[in-house]
Amino acid sequence: MTAAITYTTDATLQTLDSAAHLALYRVMLIIRRTEEQLARAHQGGFIPGACHTYIGEEAVATGVCAHLRHEDAVFSTHRGHGHALAKGVTPREVAAELFGRVTGVSRGRGGSMHLFSPEVGMMGTSGIVGPCILQATGAGYTYKLLGQDRVGVAFFGDGAVNNGAFHEGLNLAAIYGLPTLFICENNMYATEVAFSYATRNTEVASRGAAYGIPAVAVDGNDVLSVYEAAGEAVKRARGGGGPTLIECKTYRTRPHAEGMRDAGYRTADEVDSWKARDPISSYRARLIEANRAAEADLAAIDAEVKALAEDAIEFAKNSPYPDAATATKYIYSE
Amino acid sequence: MREITFTVAAREALDEAMSADPRIFVVGEGIGPRGGNFNTTLGFYEKYGPMRACDTPISERGFVGMCAGAAMTGSRPVVDFMFFDFILDSMGELINQIAKMQYMSSGRLKMPLVLRGAIGIGNSSATHHSGNYYPIFAHLPGIRVVVPYSPYDAKGLFRTALRGDDPVLFLEHKSLLNMKGPVPEGEYTIPFGKANILREGTQATVVSLAFMLKRTAEVCEKLASEGISIELIDPRTVNPLDVDTVLESVKKTGRLLIVDETFAPCGIGAEIAAQVMERGFDDLDAPVARLNGVHTPTPYSPPLEAAVVPDAVAIERAIRDLLAE
Amino acid sequence: MAIEIVMPRFGWTMEEGVLAEWLKKDGDTIQPGDLLFTVESDKALNEVEAFDAGILRIPSDAPPPGATIPVGGLLAYLMQPGEALPGAVMDEEEHGDTPPLVVSVVENAVATVARNTPTISPRAKRIAAELAVDWTTLTGSGRSGRIIEHDVRNAAQRMQLTVRVNAARVTPLARRVADDLGVDVQGLAEQHSDRRRIVRADVENVARREAPPVNVTGDTATPINPMRRRIAERMAASAHTTAPVTLTTEADVTELVRLRKQIKADAARDARAVPSYTDLLVKLCAEALAEHPALNARLEGESIIECSAIHIGIAVDAERGLFVPVLHDVQNKNLRRITQESAALIAQARAGQLPAEAMQGGTFTITNLGMFEIDAFTPIINLPECAILGVGRIVAKQIVTDADAEIVAIRQMMFLSLTFDHRLVDGAYAARFLRRIKHLTEQPYLWLA
Repeated sequence: MTAAITYTTDATLQTLDSAAHLALYRVMLIIRRTEEQLARAHQGGFIPGACHTYIGEEAVATGVCAHLRHEDAVFSTHRGHGHALAKGVTPREVAAELFGRVTGVSRGRGGSMHLFSPEVGMMGTSGIVGPCILQATGAGYTYKLLGQDRVGVAFFGDGAVNNGAFHEGLNLAAIYGLPTLFICENNMYATEVAFSYATRNTEVASRGAAYGIPAVAVDGNDVLSVYEAAGEAVKRARGGGGPTLIECKTYRTRPHAEGMRDAGYRTADEVDSWKARDPISSYRARLIEANRAAEADLAAIDAEVKALAEDAIEFAKNSPYPDAATATKYIYSE
Repeated sequence: MREITFTVAAREALDEAMSADPRIFVVGEGIGPRGGNFNTTLGFYEKYGPMRACDTPISERGFVGMCAGAAMTGSRPVVDFMFFDFILDSMGELINQIAKMQYMSSGRLKMPLVLRGAIGIGNSSATHHSGNYYPIFAHLPGIRVVVPYSPYDAKGLFRTALRGDDPVLFLEHKSLLNMKGPVPEGEYTIPFGKANILREGTQATVVSLAFMLKRTAEVCEKLASEGISIELIDPRTVNPLDVDTVLESVKKTGRLLIVDETFAPCGIGAEIAAQVMERGFDDLDAPVARLNGVHTPTPYSPPLEAAVVPDAVAIERAIRDLLAE
Repeated sequence: MAIEIVMPRFGWTMEEGVLAEWLKKDGDTIQPGDLLFTVESDKALNEVEAFDAGILRIPSDAPPPGATIPVGGLLAYLMQPGEALPGAVMDEEEHGDTPPLVVSVVENAVATVARNTPTISPRAKRIAAELAVDWTTLTGSGRSGRIIEHDVRNAAQRMQLTVRVNAARVTPLARRVADDLGVDVQGLAEQHSDRRRIVRADVENVARREAPPVNVTGDTATPINPMRRRIAERMAASAHTTAPVTLTTEADVTELVRLRKQIKADAARDARAVPSYTDLLVKLCAEALAEHPALNARLEGESIIECSAIHIGIAVDAERGLFVPVLHDVQNKNLRRITQESAALIAQARAGQLPAEAMQGGTFTITNLGMFEIDAFTPIINLPECAILGVGRIVAKQIVTDADAEIVAIRQMMFLSLTFDHRLVDGAYAARFLRRIKHLTEQPYLWLA
């Protein structure tokens, strides 16, 4: 495993004010606690469909979405709860959707892999690998065409970079100079297939050169590194400088999807080594040590988010199901 | 009234729409400075610039997916495939994303996207450039499928496609592109799901589409001189498909033939026949008949190519057989 | 609060799993991440971890290892110190509202059609019902022999009734009066389709308006009414298309007369109707037709249809004209039933209330002019049948009963005149048929055998 470019984030650590740090911490924790609750709920039989948890990768969604407004568009994957929550979808909406209730963010129509909240710029998680790259490119096209100060962001895994959509999407964004961010969450496995098996070139960032666009690789478990790289890319995009590819080296510490085995393709030692690099606890410790946040404030957030996540599950459990008579609504616009 | 070609009529609709709405743009191979292989965007590059008459690399999946994303975020793309066969490389984007986006987002995202291209067998274009495939698309919920016949229809239907918020496949038969017909100046729309009755008749109902409709119309004219009275119907759109008009007609005539260049299995004729059987069973005086293109990839050599598409002789025989049933 | 430990779901389709073994014991202290138990699913053996901390309490009535438990089924609790165990293990977990079941019932009605009747298009069948046409006897002009709309409409036109529209719209009285006065009541009904009924007064009004001019010479000119026209057409058609040959024979019906007297005497006790000679002849002819099937036939198009059933029409002279109601399936009916049915049909015919179906489907006709003191005659074949039997009067005559012994006797004699279509039937065959009828009338007990 090659070391990523580690941004020297000490500067950011100092210049970012306390509130901003706490905000980053809080978003990561919301993702973590919500995902833990959803994993438990899946085991308890409350989630009829799939649940691919983002646990371990929180720093990526958080670091990128911290630079985005509601009008910016995020296009996500099957492992998209983190993106949805970081973009502004509430834990209640996510939980209720996975429970299949009408109060879910997709009104029960989508489940985990079709979370849609255009109101906050969440343009869908997806069951198909690849199209989010093309759609984020398309968002970039609209913004450039209409002269809008907005960016499109695609999150995808290492499993997507060998797909035609990656090639065609990055190329189109490059030739048209579109304001799009391509964020690769390289967690080294596509379900159970190692990235090193699926390609001869495991340096995703090196592929940017093939399309003539800027690309960096960062430690995906360091929220400040992600924050810095994303900040540069967003600035470039908004300034008309075109797309950027950011590879975030990270790891998911739970199985590919809840209810699937986690043995046979990776070792417990490997999982443990990444658990030791937990993005949330390491960030917490760093903030305390550098005196950038108070223990009391952090503890308050701990308590608040714990309650938020529990409340989300209660809300979901008590929400009604959609009326079967509405099953054919929204196929067409009329 | 002036007579213009199908191509010019469609281009007029697009030009008028693009003039009025800066959100509409066209992407495709060769549609920029070249003006399109079928002259679909002649003059547009000079008039609208490179972002609105945008040449693409050969990456159909890429630019179809890109236009899906663009349509979701506030613009109104038109994808010009040149040969509609090329959409097959982007079927995943079409079926899993474009067709489903409104449903998945419970109506909060629209998909104002038009996908157009040339269809149909002829001129030895052979099997990668002769596709029709519209029964496949008509089968899917979430997209509209338009198969215009006359220049008048082309302009009006295209206008409707560009105005709506649903994804539309706009399929232009190659052999109709140079057909001339009367077309009014100015803006007008033709609604989807409303069939056109080309001629009224009493002895049998014939439904046909695209280029086959032209051949069938000529056959009906010939039969009329013998006193044979055929009612000829053009559905114009296969999704939504206007079977009500066909049923009204069969109530009168009792006999139905569908002539379509696409294949018979699971095709448009099969769908119409099933619906007429379900809803108009007691009006049928004879079994519903279908005349289709032969179920084969399209051959190259002219006699082979001619043999796999219904000609005037086959259409006439089919009508006479139906009347004798 | 106690945290429930339930059977989890592995994979997307799992509905139940087998609790393989507990990896912790009742009372153990559990930390998050500890492995609690293993589950056998159809895929593999899965380890289940704890998400929470607590003391593991496995109730005594919880499902034991080896049991198959549905997903969501309760297995144990994680308790905090000082907490009490909740009540007995529940059978069902409530997961909020259960989603509504959408049950779609697909009904598969497969209709098998028996093909011993001709096929007919749905449209033609509907129109046949509307026009009260018995389509089962029609020939189809559809290419596969299917009966189509055209055939039904033609058949409707051929029907003898003057009215083809819904009977409800024209009263029977109006119909009869229209026949008498030669008014086209069907046209009238169609013209006034907005009205509920056409009544006698309507018909008489029309007749008055159309009254023929009175000729100075005193002759009356009556336009041919539809009924007369129809009869005329039928007679002409028969005369012109068939090759009619009439055979006559005189039968000694003394025994038949005696038989009828006996039936009459018996019936009188039970107040039952007495069979007429026509009724008796219907029964006798059926016997003979069964033995000579070529005469129980109809010509349809290019085919001679020999009918399996015997339907005999009896000519009835009503005041308004000639009707031939049909007795169907004579071979299956006894004399008593034939007598009843013929009486009813004759009454209906005389009242002008014979429905169309009653005059369709005949395979043979009997016409009896005996009451008019007629002996032999040349009846006209009732198309599309191929023969017709004319019956003359019964007369007592002096007959040679034994030529050698030169013995004469007074016997009851009756002429039988058979006209047959020589296109379809040969002379010898027809002659044998007539001879058979003769024998059956002379020895009526033969048809008891």
